[in-house]
Amino acid sequence: MDKTTHFGFKQVDVEKKQGLVKGVFDSVAGKYDLMNDVMSMGTHRLWKNYTISSSNVSEGDHVLDIAGGTGDLAIKFRKKVGESGKVILSDINGSMLNEGRKNLLNHGIIDVDFVQANAESLPFEDNTFDCVSIAFGLRNVTNKDVALQQMYRVLKKGGTLLILEFSKVENEMLKKIYDLYSFNVIPKFGEFFANDEDSYQYLAESIRKHPDQETLKSMALDAGFGFCEYHNLTGGIVALHKAIKT
Amino acid sequence: MFRLAIEKALNHMINVNGINITRLDSSLVSVYVDDIDLRLFFLCLNSRIFVIENSEQKNTNVDITLNKKAFLALFKGVSFEDLIESEDIEINGSIKTAQQLADLFALSSIDIEELISQYTGDIIAHQLGQTIDRIKGSPSQEKDSFVENLKNEFTTLLIAPSRSKLFKKGRSR
Repeated sequence: MDKTTHFGFKQVDVEKKQGLVKGVFDSVAGKYDLMNDVMSMGTHRLWKNYTISSSNVSEGDHVLDIAGGTGDLAIKFRKKVGESGKVILSDINGSMLNEGRKNLLNHGIIDVDFVQANAESLPFEDNTFDCVSIAFGLRNVTNKDVALQQMYRVLKKGGTLLILEFSKVENEMLKKIYDLYSFNVIPKFGEFFANDEDSYQYLAESIRKHPDQETLKSMALDAGFGFCEYHNLTGGIVALHKAIKT
Repeated sequence: MFRLAIEKALNHMINVNGINITRLDSSLVSVYVDDIDLRLFFLCLNSRIFVIENSEQKNTNVDITLNKKAFLALFKGVSFEDLIESEDIEINGSIKTAQQLADLFALSSIDIEELISQYTGDIIAHQLGQTIDRIKGSPSQEKDSFVENLKNEFTTLLIAPSRSKLFKKGRSR
């Protein structure tokens, strides 16, 4: 039986998706932060600040940032947990992890650990972390249910999972503007700033294939979390799901 | 935003003062302010408090129903006994657990009246009004905090336009 999954709007073999996503992120790693600023007009920083603010993370906590990429969440988490805490930045993609390492060094942070890992098979003990975060990464994971179960496993009781991800726009007028922008403008930005139109076409497509707010909430509850709620940001362009292990 | 503000203030107070809340561990307490139809669920786990919606409708350990006046009084340290005597509050479940949560309210420095006014009023108008007040009353040495406040107001507008009239149809969960 052949199993397929989506890669943007294309259907591909399940085992091929990871390699295709790797190709996208190898290609965009060097310009990732610049492109985030250009595409979101800087708003991604506000979304991430809101995520940190919602995290309930305090001094001494252990935090795992999955698909942590260039490390902007890890830098903020490190400030919150202090020297008595621990932050681990993980990413499946070596190029992104290298960018993260450089970025953290530029911020004078040397005590964050870097782990190259697949979210579907996290190499950590059960009940290890007070908080697990994944920002703009879950939609690229092939088997999201398995990844959510892994996040549940590595969290302590009372630990929090934060999923910041593109989601479904609620307002019809905003949706039209957003569709126009993401399918016509973003790929052109990709071509202009990063010389890579295809990767940013994938970005726009992958957002549309990602589960909507309620579906993702159900998936988190199915993975074992006792509570899950979400908050729409910028009219639902992005949603922050917060799930609690009970 | 309302629940997050209370959650952050309570956890900040617990961390800063090193308050042990293990006696509240695994408790889910419902607080219903009937005259403004505000329901909050306080979940205590992992030495921290989560202020949640409980859309999963999990069973609560304690249910507290009270009016707005009594809710505000809890944050000012008025005891349960006084509130029960004046029949402003109804508690189902362990009064001891309820009292422990109320003690946390009283210890916190949450400006609950301000939060309630934001909850019940027009939030955007409220925020803009406050910004204008700050402009009017801000001497030059407060310039930095004014810029910070303005930044915060715009942050709210940018990340949560659903609070504006334009997007009022869609409400986040």
